Amino acid sequence: MAGSSIAGVVIRGIASAVPEGTQGLKELAELGGGSTPEKTMEVTGIRSRHVCRPGQTASDLCFAATETLLKDLPWGRDTVEALIFVSQTFDYVAPATSCCLQARLGLPKSCAAFDVALGCSGYVYGLWIASSLMLAGCRRVLLLAGESTTRIISPLDRAAVPLFGDAGTATALEREEGHVMHFDLGTDGAGFEHLIIPAGGHRTPRSSQTAVRTPREGGNVRSDEDLYMNGPEVFSFTLREVPPLLDRILARAGWTKEQVDFFVMHQANKWMLDQLGKRLGIPAASLPIALEGFGNTVSASIPLAITHSIRPVIGEKTRRLVLAGFGVGLSWGAAALEVGPIVLPELAIVP
Amino acid sequence: MTTAEFYKELDSTLNLAPGTIKGDESLLDLSGWDSMALLMFIYMADSKLGLAVKASALVNCKTVGDLVKVCEGKVQD
Repeated sequence: MAGSSIAGVVIRGIASAVPEGTQGLKELAELGGGSTPEKTMEVTGIRSRHVCRPGQTASDLCFAATETLLKDLPWGRDTVEALIFVSQTFDYVAPATSCCLQARLGLPKSCAAFDVALGCSGYVYGLWIASSLMLAGCRRVLLLAGESTTRIISPLDRAAVPLFGDAGTATALEREEGHVMHFDLGTDGAGFEHLIIPAGGHRTPRSSQTAVRTPREGGNVRSDEDLYMNGPEVFSFTLREVPPLLDRILARAGWTKEQVDFFVMHQANKWMLDQLGKRLGIPAASLPIALEGFGNTVSASIPLAITHSIRPVIGEKTRRLVLAGFGVGLSWGAAALEVGPIVLPELAIVP
Repeated sequence: MTTAEFYKELDSTLNLAPGTIKGDESLLDLSGWDSMALLMFIYMADSKLGLAVKASALVNCKTVGDLVKVCEGKVQD
């Protein structure tokens, strides 16, 4: 779509939660393969990741993040008018996970609740949808973005295991005049096969065959029910789409690069973010990287980077942020907005 | 970019000692040629040659010479 600018919406708070369990270099060493865990860490910037225990889901993490946020935010639960859950790791095929969360969080029956099935671009899409709901008359919206991606990765996939971690986030948005959010969103579905779980939907239902893990490219072992990522194709897409995306969002906001305090990008891996930063001429200090202890947390990565890496500076003062999410779909989105001071609770650790 | 300059860039991209790449190497025999190296090569082609290399074009490359062919028109003597 062409870009859009939506007036009258502001972020009041953001909270993040991660599962207590972690995996690090030791587990990577046990996987074997061509690259040493140290080399993998140097390139990806990921030293360890939080992983859900069996039975723990993205909605559990988002629930914890929301509880943490609502403890510090002066909002009555009965004032929340919409709940959006952005994820690719839902609790059930049906119903929508957002419906379960509405009841679990004690939100009123008058609260609209729905899921958005997007990944790396999902947080920006969620902000856009939440802002659009404000235009439609909503006053308070909760945007939850979270993933339990480690549950859908083959433990024998050396390309994917070191990259992904689990996290849940909650963002509180409120209608207030005097604020504008700018958006630029897009899609190239021709690349849908480059990041995919091939089986488990109606196109290819689960079967005894789809569950069998077999050797694939590069010695990685996975089934058609596991996540597959064609890293080089996704990187080519990133180089092709993200620089012009940022040019467009800056033009829409009427800002120069120098006028932006932080470019908070989807946290894919450190090397990729470094190259994007170089290509775009963004100084490292303005490009937060929150990968070392978390990995790529897909739809949660942008809010997690905000709460982890720039928490002290946007907790107290208004800052100009450009957010950019890009990946599975293939899908992308950027937002330009002023944020802060906002409620930013400590990271919640979920047992 | 000349072929010699291309080999030098490839040394640097793959974190190899300068002068390692001579042109007739098999990629499988090169230490450092893995899935991350594919990403790094794509970035090198983009940033140094202004060439958008499709990952699918790299899948069938077996030798350094094949990589030169992928960059046809941008690498020559």
